[in-house]
Amino acid sequence: MKKKLVSVLLVACMALSLTACGKNDAGNKKNDAADNTQTEGTENSDAEEGADTEEGAEGGSITNSDTNVLYINLASEPDYLDPALNSSVDGGCLAVNTFAGLYTYDKEGNLIPDLAVDMPEVSAEEENEGKIYTVKLKESKWSNGDDLKAQDFVYSWNRACAEETAADYGYLFDIIARKDDGTLAVEATDDYTLVITLVNPCPYFNDLMAFPTFFPVHQASVEAADPDGSVPGKWAQEAGFVCNGAYTLESWNHDESMVYKKNANYHNVDSVTMEELHFMLSADDTAIYAAYNSGDVDYIDTVPNDEISSLNGVNPEFGILDNLGTYYIGFNVNDPIFDGKTVEEAAKMRQAMNLLIDRQFIVENIGQSGQIVADSFVPLGMADGNGGEFKQADTSYYDAETTGAAMVEDAKKLMEEAGYSFTDNGDGTYKIDPAINMTYLTNDGTGHVAIAQAVQQDLGVLGITMEIQTQDWNVFLENRKNGSFTIAREGWLADYNDPVNMLEIFTSDSGNNDMQLGKGEKSDSAPDWAEYDALITEIRNTADFAKRVELMHKAEDMLMNTWAVVPLYYYNDIYMQKPNVDGIYATVYGMKYFMNATKK
Amino acid sequence: MAKYIGKRLVLAIVSILIVSAITFFVMNAIPGGPFNKEKATSAEAQKVLEERYNLDKPIGEQYVLYLNNLMHGDWGISLHNGRDIWDEIQMRFQVSAKLGGMAAAVAIVIGLVLGSIAALTRNKLPDRLIIFFTTLGTAMPSFVLATLLLLIFCLKLGWFPVWSSSNPNYVLPIIALSVYPMAYITRLTKTSMLDSLNQDYVRTAKAKGVPGWKVIFKHALRNALVPVVTYVGPMVAYILTGSMVVENIFTIGGLGSTFVTSIVNRDYTMIMAVTLFLAILMVFANLLTDIAYKMIDPRITFE
Repeated sequence: MKKKLVSVLLVACMALSLTACGKNDAGNKKNDAADNTQTEGTENSDAEEGADTEEGAEGGSITNSDTNVLYINLASEPDYLDPALNSSVDGGCLAVNTFAGLYTYDKEGNLIPDLAVDMPEVSAEEENEGKIYTVKLKESKWSNGDDLKAQDFVYSWNRACAEETAADYGYLFDIIARKDDGTLAVEATDDYTLVITLVNPCPYFNDLMAFPTFFPVHQASVEAADPDGSVPGKWAQEAGFVCNGAYTLESWNHDESMVYKKNANYHNVDSVTMEELHFMLSADDTAIYAAYNSGDVDYIDTVPNDEISSLNGVNPEFGILDNLGTYYIGFNVNDPIFDGKTVEEAAKMRQAMNLLIDRQFIVENIGQSGQIVADSFVPLGMADGNGGEFKQADTSYYDAETTGAAMVEDAKKLMEEAGYSFTDNGDGTYKIDPAINMTYLTNDGTGHVAIAQAVQQDLGVLGITMEIQTQDWNVFLENRKNGSFTIAREGWLADYNDPVNMLEIFTSDSGNNDMQLGKGEKSDSAPDWAEYDALITEIRNTADFAKRVELMHKAEDMLMNTWAVVPLYYYNDIYMQKPNVDGIYATVYGMKYFMNATKK
Repeated sequence: MAKYIGKRLVLAIVSILIVSAITFFVMNAIPGGPFNKEKATSAEAQKVLEERYNLDKPIGEQYVLYLNNLMHGDWGISLHNGRDIWDEIQMRFQVSAKLGGMAAAVAIVIGLVLGSIAALTRNKLPDRLIIFFTTLGTAMPSFVLATLLLLIFCLKLGWFPVWSSSNPNYVLPIIALSVYPMAYITRLTKTSMLDSLNQDYVRTAKAKGVPGWKVIFKHALRNALVPVVTYVGPMVAYILTGSMVVENIFTIGGLGSTFVTSIVNRDYTMIMAVTLFLAILMVFANLLTDIAYKMIDPRITFE
């Protein structure tokens, strides 16, 4: 008996020791906006699986009975609660529940006025057509009782884009014109009227006005907390800061919990159905899932990766939300494997490898939550800025459903055109000459590594050898930015609903252009990229929205024709919600609104 | 004694300086940076931030600046979220110290008691049971234990909440933290107690008719304490600074997870502060240990 007990414990220890590593980047996980799907799940515990699946099968039907309090987990400690400085999705969720901007989204995802009285009045006269926005504001108050006026927006926006604020999203204000003194061309013509002048007509400006970076902040609080401007976010570092949204932060135990209470001064306070929001601050999948199953938490948006297959389609509490974004991998166009090739040959090599990747396998076996395989870079469902959807039936760059084994011959042909020859191994695989050795760069994370292994196997069919480099989060980001890889794991979750948000990643001056297009010393095999830069500038300056759509398609064509970008699937987002909870809704950018939630 | 302590303090400052230098230069040598994000920070913003935190200066100058600020009691602010480092350390340490303090107390008290019992009942049932469970306790890493505790007491039995915003419960994390040191102390106590029970002075005490309990407490246990104290000093310092694993599983905002997160984020000021804090704590724990030796065994001299 003793022996048996010891051996059982030993097995448990060994199984768990396998999962001991890789917990660290869970902390980061929620900080990166583009990376919020379950594929990021950083740990999977074999030993826990048995017990957890059992809980899952029971449907986690244990619910708590505090009908006035919603218990939520979104992530661990947010970096910034200041809406101007925040750049994470979970921080954005907190912002939309604590601050009110000019516009917001309803349950159906429609843009509706929030502090604005109505949709903006846009200038129609010849010269300034589509450039001058006039927004009338409702009378409203800050949570401390101060009046909130149009001047607050003038201050907040100028602050958010000021150089010394160094906000990640400061660049979003670039579409607003500047006055001679360098401040934004945003005027409060009276206490409740805001007049905004844009550089060029912009189809997504209304959307931006609902984005947290555009929310107002309380000037007196900001300046009192940080008189010399050296710590811009200081005013919102502890509970009790002044805000204007549905909830105020009452208490905050760091890395443990946050308690939000209904803000009596919120302009739309009557519509708020949930009295309090209590956030569990954790990024530990196991703890979060356990808290959900024990009924301590009502709503979570991560589950351990191994659990997804047993929950999806089985447990009615498990849900999937659409997201606007693309998971992709990308080639470094300056990588030595392309040395000596022409631009066309290098593109053919990348196209061939693109065709070899079995996307269906990846979404079914690794993603597991019904992601749609991607055949374009601009994600499905994204607006085109001219009243339609950007992605049409003909904006498909390959048949994403059949890439993989069925495409081996096509891929082989492309590689032959690029100067490679093959000898048949007799088992459906080939030996390539000359040999290709390359690296695949990814951060530690079960989903990411599994995708890398799938790609490795797919490329192996043509004898291409690929080494997977799994790096610590921060090192990964650095090496990816510097182009120290042949292929890197990538992802982009849209900030606003316009294709230019996806396309401008690849201008040669962009910090996100990891594919090094137009960067560094131009090699003979790297595509000429000045034309793309010019095209993006033209898109930004085009007032004719129909023409703009055309230009954006042209830009995507150009990007995809380099085959440096290999879209795998379009992002979606998972959540679990207790059956007695209702009324929580989310936008395609991952923002979740809790104020209209009800609990039985 | 005072001279000895003075000497030790000077040595302590030197070792802390060495620790700070090693940490500072190694930390800056590892790849990655504090402003790396999935969506890149713009070049302009990065420049402003680097200037603000002196990261644009040569590394040697940065170190001198850092030490200079530290002398003035300025630990700086977090590069990651702009929080005041000293406030953050204080706040986190309070949590970790509360938890760790209770865990250390539990480990020491129970460890000593069990160790003594095991020594006194050598090769009888209580001894065997205690040794069996302490072997288990030293063999099981805290993350295994923490996960098992969570599974059994929170999910299966429902005795404790996994997480609570109003009423956090420290029972399970204390158990998870204290089992290993408790088991270790038990074994140490047993061994050294057995050793001192065989000493001449114990036999003499027994022979001259000293009551049994007095022989155990005054003669045997007291002399058995020296090796235990050697272990307990650093153990307490270590346990007070928190455990990332236990803190993550039980959602506790202590210093342990802060340390790990700061390294992942390359939050240089926070890495420095936590390392120095831990170093100072360790140095003090060692000093206190040495003083404790003297109190337990007056024969020990500080020469």
